[in-house]
Amino acid sequence: MTALLILFFTALAALFAGLSKNRKSVQTIALTGSLLALASVVAGPVRGWDDMYASMLMFNDYAMAFSAVAILSAALIFGLSGWGFRALTSTLGDNYGLILFSLCGALCMFSSTNLVMLFLGIEILSIPLYVLAGSRRDDLRSNEAALKYFLMGSFATGILLFGIALVYGSTGSFDFSAIGAAAAQGASMSGMLKAGVLLIVVGLSFKVSAAPFHFWAPDVYTGSPSLVTAFMATVVKTAGFAAFFTLFATAFAPVASVWTLPVSIIAGLTMTLANTTALFQDNFKRMMAYSSIAHAGYLLLAILSAENTSADRALMFYLLSYSIATIGVFAVYIVVSEQKEDDTFAAFNGLGKTHPFLAVALTVSVLSLAGVPPFPGFFGKYFLFTAVFDKYPALVVLAVINSAISIYYYFKVITAAWFQKGSESDAEVVLPGGIRLTVSMALVLTAVLSAAPYLAFTLFFRN
Amino acid sequence: MSLSFILIPFVASALILLARPAATRQLALLATLANLAVTVYCFGCDYSQGMNCTFQAPWLPEAGFSFSLGMDGVTLLMLLLTNLVSPLIVYGSWSRSYENESRYYGLILLMIGALNGVFLATDGLLFYIFYELALIPIYFICAIWGGQDRIRITLKFFIYTFVGSLFMLLSLLYVYLQTPGGHSFAWSELVNVQLPAGTELWVMLGFFIAFAVKMPVFPLHTWQPDTYVAAPTGGTMLLSGIMLKMGTYGVIRWMMPLAPEAAHTLTPTFITLAIIGIVYASIIAVKQTDFKRLIAYSSIAHVGLIAAGIFAWNKAGLQGSLVQMLNHGINVVGLFYISDLIERRLGTRTLGDMGGIAKSAPVFATLFMIIMLGSVAVPLTNGFPGEFLLLNGVWNYNFWAGLAAGLTIIFGAVYMLRAYGLAMFGEPGEQTSGFADLNTQERIMLGAVSLLVIVLGFFPGFILNLTDSTVNRILGAVQL
Repeated sequence: MTALLILFFTALAALFAGLSKNRKSVQTIALTGSLLALASVVAGPVRGWDDMYASMLMFNDYAMAFSAVAILSAALIFGLSGWGFRALTSTLGDNYGLILFSLCGALCMFSSTNLVMLFLGIEILSIPLYVLAGSRRDDLRSNEAALKYFLMGSFATGILLFGIALVYGSTGSFDFSAIGAAAAQGASMSGMLKAGVLLIVVGLSFKVSAAPFHFWAPDVYTGSPSLVTAFMATVVKTAGFAAFFTLFATAFAPVASVWTLPVSIIAGLTMTLANTTALFQDNFKRMMAYSSIAHAGYLLLAILSAENTSADRALMFYLLSYSIATIGVFAVYIVVSEQKEDDTFAAFNGLGKTHPFLAVALTVSVLSLAGVPPFPGFFGKYFLFTAVFDKYPALVVLAVINSAISIYYYFKVITAAWFQKGSESDAEVVLPGGIRLTVSMALVLTAVLSAAPYLAFTLFFRN
Repeated sequence: MSLSFILIPFVASALILLARPAATRQLALLATLANLAVTVYCFGCDYSQGMNCTFQAPWLPEAGFSFSLGMDGVTLLMLLLTNLVSPLIVYGSWSRSYENESRYYGLILLMIGALNGVFLATDGLLFYIFYELALIPIYFICAIWGGQDRIRITLKFFIYTFVGSLFMLLSLLYVYLQTPGGHSFAWSELVNVQLPAGTELWVMLGFFIAFAVKMPVFPLHTWQPDTYVAAPTGGTMLLSGIMLKMGTYGVIRWMMPLAPEAAHTLTPTFITLAIIGIVYASIIAVKQTDFKRLIAYSSIAHVGLIAAGIFAWNKAGLQGSLVQMLNHGINVVGLFYISDLIERRLGTRTLGDMGGIAKSAPVFATLFMIIMLGSVAVPLTNGFPGEFLLLNGVWNYNFWAGLAAGLTIIFGAVYMLRAYGLAMFGEPGEQTSGFADLNTQERIMLGAVSLLVIVLGFFPGFILNLTDSTVNRILGAVQL
């Protein structure tokens, strides 16, 4: 709760600071606010204070752990924003404010124990994002992204809401545990409940961009400003999966027979389709969009293993390692692509020669995304796959084959950075201080998570 | 003690990569020699009771995964191979100047540390991590300093081996989930798991694919000749001298003990594949005109015999495979150095363009002859005891298999003598008449390899003693 309040007031402060035309101060406010919020999350829940609105918001360990992941990602993105938002003038404060409001929505989703609160969280998260996607108003693709995202998002919201209504109708409650209790009694294994659960699966699949509901993602990711894309790929994904997980682990666990088959089909389809499509991309952000869809496929395995007590930790660690690596990749990308005005893989050509530091950071992040040991992405996959291996061995084998496929497109990045010759003007690419600092932070976090993966649990999970 | 095998190269590598000292080459050589000294020191420990010199630190204590190292006779032999061959590789690289030298030597040291880790790991997941970690530096070495078409070839190599080891990871995970209580990746826990016959077969196949790609065993060898040819000589030496032994070592340490029954049922298939590989690679080697490619194919043939000896799973076969792993490593490093030396002088590796080198370079001709004879396994060279024991082992398993595997000696003599004859004898051509004899650096390098060929040929008993008690223990514990 403390973190939520800090973030909310930081957002307001950023909005007003935006009026002052002092660029530095807005970034400082956003960064300080998010770091304070992170500190309050790591410090742990405050009893009595963290159980609000008749238990519609519960800031328990689970919520705290995922809040930490989301706020950390946002803080890293704010670290990049000095450079990333350099073209913005009058809307600078709005951009920071919107990102922070969206983050507030994510926190509501983590801590929700009630379908209404969950729905509100999703909307608080999404609406600022529709605006952010279109924040480059003079760019056609940004406009397209915003419109597409908004239409698809509303569509998904409608389906989700319909599902919620049906679930409420059949169980008589919005509360997760009450729904679980009603469903467990069996009497309400009605068609209405089943239809409601399946509609919610579809609605959330839209939100986390799982196949076959993923078609919006590549266009939206490509069209949005790169920093917003990074935010969507990390914080929004974290929020979507954390909510997906709590809902299905508590409320819908008794009706698992209804949704396990559809979810496992969606998971298999998502990773396979995304990985094979990513192979053929030339545009880097499009490739990252498909890569993020592929990761959504792996993450769905966590939903399937919800009854396994270590599944929430596996999910948290995977999202943490994935977010850090994704931000690392985007950090290098925005510096290079915007200065070379090239959005294909070729933007990275010759990076190993001109900017070895960026090339190393890029390589480490990409290897982590690919799940190559000993980088954190490997441990993420390891935790996730062991949690489901007993019950779904075939899906794990499919996931492993998919990780192997992903090597090909991830290595296109490494190949470009180290083995392709760049052009003469590459040496002129400057490395802003804020980016250097953030990338170093991401590298340090990567190193720590490789050497001591359990540190993430001792820090963020208290029980 | 065992930790220093990993720490020394890693620290030296970090120093070289970050500080880029002027004496990069010397520092790299010093680090590998320090490792060799530690290896020699470890000869003194007692390995008859199992693992010695153990080291353990928690990595993921809740999941039963720890950074645990240990050594027995087999490990020691692999460490001897790595740390005897690595100074040769580093010193051999001195003959060429590489662009961004500090990166080159830094990556080589990183690779050596990871290789030592593979052989020392007594924890399944740690073994897997080092197994993959070794892949990253060699990928960069091949793709940055390699020859023609290197990017495509090295990516194929990377994907091939990475996919292979992912199957091993699946097998490891499966066995891990069957360990009692809170689960553990420790080798001693994993081998105690009794799997039902059906699943054991799958587990075994997961390991087999990973190791067979690495060795490589026919028909998973297609990445190998291209990669060996495209890689810079130092990379080729690392790949053929040490890295492929990760596969054979993995079979002895992990695959056979974890899934003995399943391995037993498939032994005929494996030995057949290994023998097909021997004959097939030998025939191709006979037809080669590119000297480097010829050595690459000869390497497939030699490793095929090592694999056949391991799969026969008797004392002669196992001892032979261990001796041969060491000696093949030494010989192949020598041969690749020779190929590189000729290429430096003549600018070509095509055997047809050579000829008559012996006239103008007698010292080179002599040392080349010694190393070549070692590779052909002439008695009193280091190749002989290993191949003899291996053939003996395969023979004990099955007469016909032994006979077919014996072809390797005949073919080996044919292609090596043919290559030697084409390169060294005959009338000197325009280019070869001015072939300069060895300089000091090259004399030291080839002299050291030749010395090892002769010494290990005369005194093979020293290696056999090193591994004897451990091989007995392994065979006693894993009976097929």
